[in-house]
Amino acid sequence: MCGGPAPFCPGGRAHDLLTWPLSEPITTSLSFVGKNVRYEVTAAGDFASVLAVLTDHLKLRVLSIETVERCWLDTAAATLEGADTMLEYRLPVAEGSPSLSWSAAGRMLAHDACVSATLPVGASDLPDSWSFERLTGLLGPDRLLASTKVNSQIALLASLDDEQKTTARVTLDSSQRPDGYLLPMVLEIFPLRGYETEAATLEQRVQEKIALFPSDLSVKDRVLNDTTSETSTGLRTSLSAASAWRDALQRLTETMTASFAGVLSGDDPKNLHDFRVAVRRTRTLLQDGAEVIDPESRDRFRHEYRWLGDITTPTRDADVLSFEFPKLAGAVSNSRDVDLTSFLDVLERHRANCHTEMVTELRSLRRAEFGIAWLEFLADDDAWTGCGELAEAPVVSVLTKRVERAHHQLIRNGKKISKKSPAISLHELRKEGKRLRYLLECFGPLYNQDAYHTVVEPLRELQNVLGEFQDTEVQATAVLHLAAKLVDGPTDTSYAAVEAVAERLAVRAVRARSQFAQVFGQFDTRKIERAFLQLTEPSSTSTKSKRKSKDTSSAKSARKKKR
Amino acid sequence: MKVLATYNIKGGVGKTATAVNLSHIAASQGNRVLVWDLDPQGAATFYFRVKPKVKGGGKAIVRGSLELGDAIKATDFDNLDLVPADFSYRHLDLWLDDAKKPLARIRRALRQVEDDYDYVFLDCPPSISLTSESVFRAADVLLVPTIPTTLSLRTYEQLDRFVEENPDLVKELKIFGFFSMVDRHKRLHRRFMTELRTAHPELLEVTIPNSTDIERMGVHREPIGSYGKGSRAARSYEALWSEIQTRL
Repeated sequence: MCGGPAPFCPGGRAHDLLTWPLSEPITTSLSFVGKNVRYEVTAAGDFASVLAVLTDHLKLRVLSIETVERCWLDTAAATLEGADTMLEYRLPVAEGSPSLSWSAAGRMLAHDACVSATLPVGASDLPDSWSFERLTGLLGPDRLLASTKVNSQIALLASLDDEQKTTARVTLDSSQRPDGYLLPMVLEIFPLRGYETEAATLEQRVQEKIALFPSDLSVKDRVLNDTTSETSTGLRTSLSAASAWRDALQRLTETMTASFAGVLSGDDPKNLHDFRVAVRRTRTLLQDGAEVIDPESRDRFRHEYRWLGDITTPTRDADVLSFEFPKLAGAVSNSRDVDLTSFLDVLERHRANCHTEMVTELRSLRRAEFGIAWLEFLADDDAWTGCGELAEAPVVSVLTKRVERAHHQLIRNGKKISKKSPAISLHELRKEGKRLRYLLECFGPLYNQDAYHTVVEPLRELQNVLGEFQDTEVQATAVLHLAAKLVDGPTDTSYAAVEAVAERLAVRAVRARSQFAQVFGQFDTRKIERAFLQLTEPSSTSTKSKRKSKDTSSAKSARKKKR
Repeated sequence: MKVLATYNIKGGVGKTATAVNLSHIAASQGNRVLVWDLDPQGAATFYFRVKPKVKGGGKAIVRGSLELGDAIKATDFDNLDLVPADFSYRHLDLWLDDAKKPLARIRRALRQVEDDYDYVFLDCPPSISLTSESVFRAADVLLVPTIPTTLSLRTYEQLDRFVEENPDLVKELKIFGFFSMVDRHKRLHRRFMTELRTAHPELLEVTIPNSTDIERMGVHREPIGSYGKGSRAARSYEALWSEIQTRL
């Protein structure tokens, strides 16, 4: 299985990317030794109003506010990303010179003004300073490619103690793509080494003042993983449904292959996260691939992918809990100063057991045979020719129907949910939301972009609330279940702290549930319904209608003034 | 990891200012840097606005019951961390005296973080004691700021003699003396500098001026490179760091 470029095999390029190519390793941040926490700001209001809350209510000190045009640079082989570093180019919008920052996990490795006003395209264009020398060695002769540029407002703030010493740094980042689309505002908290408790308290206070949702995606991730980018995929509206489905499934397979070695090693939970997202998306495409994909293959692979998702779930849950629990405990006053060692040991043992079991399954004959069969299926042209009634139909016409069906199902079932509905109804609705979202995201470039962004963002917000509800419920149950494994049981010093955390999670679940009606209401609107209908219209139509509506509103306001 | 100790038997010669400013410059160049404030007065800790407290006290570090990494606090500057001072360090000599292999204690504590840092600066208390000898064992380089005055020169000679008489203790330790708090308007300073350079040609060439910009570190509670970048004193420290790097 590992002899060639097999799917999910740690023998190909993905494996190479995991190896740091310099003799001297670049370790992760020391100053920011606690992992940063990242949120999407879902509160109403613009950059200035969120910033005002941070400074006026939370008394954070502004260190800098920049308005810049920026992008991220990497080689075609993603050398920098493979080394867990990133190179960012910033050009101040008002005045000032462009600069380059090379960083790893929040730690600045090198920062300097650019040699020229143009974007660097290779190592020779990097600033001539000692700190950039290591980057030069890493890049070698490879060319640097730039991501899409975005315009950003970035505030850097500090939380200070009574000595005016920084205990945590906070960034607020509001970015806009060249097409005017505003990316979700991102707030990140970087705990400083030795001040983890203060950072946890700050995180709690920020959450109390500003509506936030945890997010894995940085602004860079959003720009680089933008499925609506023209260059990111080979999808075209002229493709047949079978070709488009096959193309999308191949890209998801590449993601799984790239993260597989990391899933097995367990060194970075992000690999398992990426792997699982790709698995879930693949399942959606198989589910909605009726009459596009060969029915026998579709049934077989749906079954196998469901199994693949299931065997990775316990490890992912354990990863999340291991990461979240110390933060949760730090944020709950009853458990803040309690010695949690015994529970953390239980948690770590549980995580290690889950990982061992998962790796055994992933190295099983079943997984190997399934992986080979899947690759062969994707590579076999015959398997994709005349394989279903809609296989040769234009992809857009198939998508129109599938998206419409998934949208109507979500709205219909969402409307049925009341305060008395059981939790399972919300969990089912979350799955339906995922299905719709993946149908949109996997074929992003094929949709009318204005309509696409109009529908995707409120859908993500709805998913965030449903996700928070389900995750907190699952975590509350899991911590209590694990607490039962403590040797001293309820008399263990950490038991009460675990109970306090479970209570806190339960409160969060209740809060998420109470938010459901509001976010669902924001999704179930005439405007979004119209946007769903426009999804497969050419972009110009929508622009025209927008212009028309703008003209109409201008005319209306002119009439008003006249009156 | 290179360990540099700012040391002088005499107090008030600019040891702490040297440790704080050089560590800040090294960190700003992308190096991972740790400062360990061994002086119970805690001046370096004060400059970095960190509270002078180590959980369990310095005794816990010396005895090994507290990992050095657990005592580390990030400063406000990227790549620059600090092990803060603790008033209990005034008993450091006693604890070392009670411990087995006292001279290896500081070196052993530093080994726990050797993969995490490129440079460690030890800001030492003035005196020559068991603590100093333990520092000599742990350090690769002694940075010895010296004011061109009679008493300072006398202590420099004392250190020189000590090193000569204890070759086993210092082994491969390099000693980089340099002039600090220099007032070029004073004829006496100029004369002493000339004399000492003749007697000790190994002294570093860069000198640190006597400057109010450096004194203002106590007001700003920051390294000079943070509030006085480009000033003569800041440039002197940059030149000093550059010279040290070429000699390392």
